[in-house]
Order: sequence, then structure tokens, then C-alpha cells
Amino acid sequence: MSERRGLHDLLSASAARTPDAPAVVGPAGSMSYGELDERADALAGRLSGQGISKGDRVLIWSPKSANAIAAMQAVLRLGAIYIPVDPLTPPERFLVIARESGALALCAPEDLSARVPSPLRDCLACVDLDAAPVPDALPRTPVSTCVEPDDLAYILYTSGSTGTPKGVCISHRSALAFIDWAVAELAPGPQDRFANHSGLSFDLSVLDLYAAFTVGAAVCLIQPEFAYVPEGLVEFLHRERISVWYSVPSALILMLRDGGLLDRPAPGTLRALLFAGEPFPIGPLRALAAWSDARLLNLYGPTETNVCTYHEVRPADLARDLPVPIGKPCSGDRVWAIRADGSEAEPGEEGELVVSGPTVFAGYWGRQPQEGPYATGDRVKVRPDGSFDYLGRRDGMVKIRGHRIELGDVVAALYSHQGVAEAAVIAVGDGLDRVLAAFVVRSRGSAFGNVALRRHLAGRLAPHMIPGDIRFVDRLPHNDRGKLDLAALQRPLHGPQKVQG
Amino acid sequence: MATQTREDISSQLLTFIRESFLAGDPEGELDADTPLLELGILNSLNTAILVAHLGEDYGVHVPLIDVTATTFKSVRTLSELVHESLSRK
Repeated sequence: MSERRGLHDLLSASAARTPDAPAVVGPAGSMSYGELDERADALAGRLSGQGISKGDRVLIWSPKSANAIAAMQAVLRLGAIYIPVDPLTPPERFLVIARESGALALCAPEDLSARVPSPLRDCLACVDLDAAPVPDALPRTPVSTCVEPDDLAYILYTSGSTGTPKGVCISHRSALAFIDWAVAELAPGPQDRFANHSGLSFDLSVLDLYAAFTVGAAVCLIQPEFAYVPEGLVEFLHRERISVWYSVPSALILMLRDGGLLDRPAPGTLRALLFAGEPFPIGPLRALAAWSDARLLNLYGPTETNVCTYHEVRPADLARDLPVPIGKPCSGDRVWAIRADGSEAEPGEEGELVVSGPTVFAGYWGRQPQEGPYATGDRVKVRPDGSFDYLGRRDGMVKIRGHRIELGDVVAALYSHQGVAEAAVIAVGDGLDRVLAAFVVRSRGSAFGNVALRRHLAGRLAPHMIPGDIRFVDRLPHNDRGKLDLAALQRPLHGPQKVQG
Repeated sequence: MATQTREDISSQLLTFIRESFLAGDPEGELDADTPLLELGILNSLNTAILVAHLGEDYGVHVPLIDVTATTFKSVRTLSELVHESLSRK
């Protein structure tokens, strides 16, 4: 372990040890460690042939597949930096990310690369992800560039408060600090099977992939389109004999509530259920704990810090009527809460959570490097033992099924439509039923509808930021000081618009 | 059920999506080729509701392997999926 330098060495080492073991299992095809390793080398060779080298950014715009994961490894092997982009990202937003990051190459299946507008496509080296590797008479040349711990490994784009996506830069050191903790905590082995629920462009997937690669275990991919189809997820859990599951609580709650999770005994293989991204309501968590003997772990951390605290659920937690704590520091980080005056909060007090240590990101791409502790914007209460209870956000950020969304971004996108006179966006409902609701006053004479407005938004927002519920109203409610009356907006809503089956 | 054409299924699905997810779509903007996933009309919740609807109203249980960005792309692709499943019965 000691000579290991880069995130990509995890896969290489397992491929050398157990080339025939399954590495990635997915509907779009499975690959053994040997095959994934070989595919990564082939893609690295093609990228290198296109001039990609250390420090370059490479976009990976693809549905979840073994090939997409091989491309991530290929980029790392060149000492370059990968940027995973959600396959449903509309071309307009893709353009912004491509421009912001100064990416030089794109790995994508042909149908997606064909959608990149031509001025940009001419500047990007495109590698067709799904093209069969060219049979090569030459012996295979393994690629491995030496990286320094502080070299960047990947950039994850998140919702930014100005309407421009922000690229969170993660170094090899940072990712490995988190993975080392996860592997020490979960003690997985080659027989383990990790579910990958989160999209590759979200930070939850980092644990699934690299904890599995560290020990030569299999990662079983869940396609995003059925990530919230309840019976489908339950069937997947059993069929793939999952042993480690990691997702937002919403997915697990959906399986409990609508997927018949409790109707069948827990799979004997299941030994850890991990969740992060939002508080897990205590009721469903009790049901989950009664159903399975698996360890239940609540992980916490914004994309900017990876996972910096965690809490293992104990019977005493289930006796409280509160969400379980986000717990104590991990991954080698120091984590504390500060009062409004900047001093450290004592047990029993509230404050903003602050993180310093190896998992803290290097900065947003193209902006000042992150120096010193990172203030998360999350409000917490310090528990008597020094661990933390999560209270909520300080700012206008909301979470919908684990995705963080700046409401201001969505409002700005609505106002960018010429026919929108007034707009407001709120998050309504709890847990699984939580959706963004937009209220829109159309300007006089404009006649666009729901779908036309969505077309406009799709050019500016990631798919998970487009409100699930868009309503046209004659006016927005204002209070006596002229401020938008958010409470009055909530009133006419009885949960999301949804047809009871 | 077996006599339903693709067009029948398509118009029923259009109605379902308009009523369930688009507040009725009084402007009549939704058509068979509207990209449902890209426009956030089928977000994760609504996809789950739609899959349940296909099971209840058509008896079509969509195998996981068929729930993809290709088959759930538009009402047209969805109607084809439903029609094919019905004609196999």
C-alpha cells in the first residue's frame, strides 16, 4: 500500500492480483478486472494519441457503463483529470461545463458526442467510448504516469449560486484519504458486491467504485432511469446479491414504502447499508434496522469535503425521535462547529460546521485555491460526546433526493425566459416526495406553456434542477412589507402533483 | 387490449402525462416526440409513477433492462415498448 500514489493504482493492483474477478456488472455489459484494466489502457493509448497528457481535463459524457468507468481510469493513468457529466445534461449546459473547465477531450458514445455543437466539437478530441477496441498487432503497452498526491484526479460540477456550475476539484490525496477510511471502516473483501446507485457525476459514486477496486470486489451499476423504480431496486438488491449498498435515503425509503422490501427476508449477503445526502427520517430507519442485521452508517460531507463525518446507527439512536446524528470526524479530517463570532461551539451549542484536513477539496476550477478550513454552510448542534446533529442549511440551498440545488439558480433560469414576469421556487414535501415547485406569472400577451418553459430551462439547468411541478398563477403572494410570502405559496400545494395509482 | 394500436396507446399515454405531470397542458405543447427525461417531465419520482401506471393500466411490467434513456425518451418510444409487450402476450 505504501508505494501507492494515485487513485488509478487501486484498479491496476487488483487487476494484477485477480484478473478474472468481476469488476463492473451492469446491464450494458460486465467486465472482469483484467478486461477493465485492458480497456483502460486502450482508451489511455487513444487519448494519449490525441495529445492528452498530465493535467489536461477530459470530459466523460456517458450513460453509466463499464466503458465509462474504464475511461475514468484511462484519464487518471495519463495523469489527466476527468470530469464526469450526467448523460441527461442538455447540450447547452454541457457547453458551459466544457468551456469553464477548458477540457481538451471528450469520451462519449457516438450519439452523445454528435450532440456537441460544432464549434466546440472541432476543438475537442473525441474518443468514441463504445467503439470496439482496434485489434492490435503490437503488444499492449500499460500506461501509468507518476502523479503527485496533490495532483487533481477529477472535477465534479455542482449547482453554483450565480447560475454558473462550479467545478469542485479533488486531488488524488483527497480521494484516497476518504477511500482509505471507507475501506478500513467497512473492511470489504474480494467477495463483496457494491451497489452503485448514484450517478458517476455525483460524489457518492466515488466510494462504490474505489472501495471496490481497492479490494478487487464487484461494482453493480444501477442505471439512473430506474434508480427510483421501487420494485426494480428491490429486485436488483436480491438478484445481484448486494453486500454493500450506498445511496441517498430516498432510494431506501422508496424500496421500503413501495417496493416491498420488507416482504422478503434481507439477502444473506447484505452487510452494510450506507446513506448520505439528506437526513434519514427515524421511522423508516427503524423499519430498516428491524429488517436487516446489516450495519447502518450515516455518512456526511458536501462534495467539497468528501465524507468528513459518519455515525453508525445504534439501538439508542432508534429510540430517539430525531434523525440520527451525522456523527464524528473521519477520513483524517478535523471537524468542528463555529459560533456566529467565529469561536468554536461547545457541546450543547449550535454553529456552522467547518472542516479541515486531507479530504477538503483543492478549490473550484478556475478560481482561488481553497486554503484553510472549509465552512460547509450547514448548521449543526454539538452533542455531549463532541459529535454532531445536523440542523439544516444556512442559505438558500435545498436538497432534493440528495441533489443540492440553489433555489436562486432555478429562479434566475426562469427569469431568463422573456415571457416570465415573476417567478418563485420553493421545495415542497418531505423525503421522497420532496420536489421543486415553481410559480410563474406570465407577462401580458405571452402564451407559452409548461413544456415550452421546460425546453427553455433544459438549456440552462441540470435535469434534477428543473422543477417537477410548474404552475402558472395570476400573481405571487406578497406580505405587507412587499416581500414574497413563501408561507402563502406553500398553502395551495397538497404535496406534489401526482396521480394515486 | 390486444387490438390497441400504437396510436391508441400513444394518445392514452399523452393524456396520462398531461394530467399527471403537466397540470393538463392546456397549451397542448406535449407531443409524442417531446423529450421527457431531458425536460424533467419524467424525473425520478414521475418515472416511478409512470412505471406503476404501465403495470396497472396495461398489465405491462417493464423489465429493468428496458427502463433506459432510450425507451423512456418520449411518448413515441414508450408507446412502442407498451405495444410490443402487449403483442407478445
